[in-house]
Amino acid sequence: MKIAVLRPQIPFARGGAEIFTDRLVEELCARDHEAELVTLPFKWYPGTRVLTQAFMWRIVDLDEADGTPIDVVVATKFPSYLVRHRNKRVWLVHQFRQAYELDRTELGQFDESPEDRALRRKVQRLDRIALGEAARLFTTSRNVAERLERSTGLAAEVLPHPPQGLPYRCQGYGDFVLSVNRLDRAKRIDLLLEAAALDSSLEVVIAGDGPDRERLEALARERGLDGRAHFAGRVGEDELAELYGRCLAVYYAPIDEDFGMVPFEAFLSEKPVLTTTDAGGPLEVVTDRRTGLVVSPDAAELARAAGWLREHRDEAASLGRAGKAVAADVTWERAISRLLS
Amino acid sequence: MKVAYYSPMPAERSGVADYSALLLPALRERIEVTVVRRGRKRPPRGVDLGLYHVGNNPDAHAWIVDALRRRPGVVVLHDFVLHHLVAGMTVGRRDGHGYLDAMETEHGVVGRLLGHGVLDKRIPPLWESRPEDFPLAGFVLEHATGLIVHSDYVCGLARDAGYERPIWVVPHPAWPVPGITPERLASGPTIGCFGVVNASKRVPELLRAFASVRRRTADVTLLLVGPTSPGFDLDRRLQRLGLADDGVLREGWVDERRLWGLMAGADVCVNLRHPTMGETSGSVVRSLSLGKPLIVSDVGWFSELPGDVALKVPVDDREVETLEAGLELLATREDVRVEMGRAAAELARREHGLDRVAELYAAALEEAAGGDAVGDAVLREVSEAAADVGISPDTVEAGEIAGRLAEVELG
Repeated sequence: MKIAVLRPQIPFARGGAEIFTDRLVEELCARDHEAELVTLPFKWYPGTRVLTQAFMWRIVDLDEADGTPIDVVVATKFPSYLVRHRNKRVWLVHQFRQAYELDRTELGQFDESPEDRALRRKVQRLDRIALGEAARLFTTSRNVAERLERSTGLAAEVLPHPPQGLPYRCQGYGDFVLSVNRLDRAKRIDLLLEAAALDSSLEVVIAGDGPDRERLEALARERGLDGRAHFAGRVGEDELAELYGRCLAVYYAPIDEDFGMVPFEAFLSEKPVLTTTDAGGPLEVVTDRRTGLVVSPDAAELARAAGWLREHRDEAASLGRAGKAVAADVTWERAISRLLS
Repeated sequence: MKVAYYSPMPAERSGVADYSALLLPALRERIEVTVVRRGRKRPPRGVDLGLYHVGNNPDAHAWIVDALRRRPGVVVLHDFVLHHLVAGMTVGRRDGHGYLDAMETEHGVVGRLLGHGVLDKRIPPLWESRPEDFPLAGFVLEHATGLIVHSDYVCGLARDAGYERPIWVVPHPAWPVPGITPERLASGPTIGCFGVVNASKRVPELLRAFASVRRRTADVTLLLVGPTSPGFDLDRRLQRLGLADDGVLREGWVDERRLWGLMAGADVCVNLRHPTMGETSGSVVRSLSLGKPLIVSDVGWFSELPGDVALKVPVDDREVETLEAGLELLATREDVRVEMGRAAAELARREHGLDRVAELYAAALEEAAGGDAVGDAVLREVSEAAADVGISPDTVEAGEIAGRLAEVELG
């Protein structure tokens, strides 16, 4: 089949959605499909730019390419699913969250003016229309599916996908807790730093970069964590696999995350995941005392949990191995088979 | 965003007052609302939008329509047929010309002539005899910048009447079921009918159907709760059908708490009517919340109830027979009652949940207050971009862009 995978592009930014869609194209091609990534730049501010930029997807014609029909389009993120196509499938990573659960939080974008309030509703209306047109509607997690149903009334099938392909391995259970994430406030890396400030034995390695890095580094300095909090920045695939392989556990506790691939990556490295009760999607695979530890979003609780893992390395290994069994169940073969069925 | 809220409020004895008392706390969690004092003509300072609750009762709603005519805004249309309201605001204020103008505007010269007939007392008042044929909704619609309605049925009526501005269909909210003890007045299956007892609630048809069922199923009871309309001779009808001494229990007006108790004690709820004025029924919404199987007339909003929740009786030559079959089925089959009751409770939770309804209200009001500005900005930006690359407004390409904007409701 000729398949177009659709992804909005935020120039000079790369994250989980980019990794996912690149891999999806590769996996489709590996199964003898002719797959291609189609992107359009997306800027969601100021004012109505979120709508006009989204609308660009509506005037893209993907019925055929150079005289040959495109059999399927797979849209992934807002606003790529505004595209028109007779066989539009949506594998939703997330909606435009500023118009939903992030509204009226510090991560929101719309103010209280009548224009901004109406703008937010227009985004919601676009979602109902465009997602309602889909021949099949999937989400990458139950959390995203539930949000979608709450906000639009649309029911989606949950279809998780495997994480990026790294040379995953376990090289023991070292002394540090690893955080792998983009450094922005919603990812809540500061909670891990506060935990380290409470437990002088806790070492943390923070992989990733982002707009919150300066604040986090300052926080680490203020709390006297020099030497125990290492900011590794953006790391390459080999180094990332190495960090996963050597760490004690992986910390992953964004606020109400869509899903996130980090827990699966940790599991494939046989590492338990430390998360919080309000983390959203990760809780679908991180089960307390089975594949990791789930604590309330409180630095002292987190410090205690990390300390327990350090003092119970056999149990940590056991949790990590249980996680590996969970991650092994999610394969591209199954995912693509359902996506195209 | 700040909304001026015009509605009858408790202690006025009105369905819309009860409705607003239920809705307002949940709505206030989402937007800033100022309830306008009854009779006040000018809107409060600094509001972005007026929200006007309009029903057919002139005592409750005339002042609201007066305010609407001064400052247009979003209208919640609780009834589509507004003839009684319009008559109250014209004839009732010694403004016969106003009434004639309203009739002529919507029904042409024939309407005006009929209006003269009413004013001259040559024909019975149309608001009593044939309001459904002369709804006079245009009297209100012309001042509404948007409409909130409770059913697709009323949405269709408004569109048929030529209303072209936005309409939002927002279900009637469900009351939380109070902590009450079901009040069972009979030992066998009890069929409850709650509301005013009169011909338009199809009580004559209900009594005839029930009398037939009762001949075969002696332990079934019909409970009629609500005041009797003047001129409706219930006792004579009961006597004629042999129901005067046995089978029918009668309660007049009851307070809210007792209403819930009696409804909870019934096994089946019946809510019939014809003609419909485009209204929803608070009584039906209450019985859904209680998980009661329903029998309704197959008209208006009632037709939109799902088939697994309500048996729908067409208003036709076989109405009594159909009703009889429905009553008998639900009186004798507990398994059907349980299944329908479960579906009813689920419908109340899913469709009529207060938070959902308040969220739909907030969405409608936010779209109404800022939607035009947003729409204009989008169109300006798209048309400027098109013009920059040489696409002028009258070209095929511009037509295609306009079509795509319309598909996603951006233009």
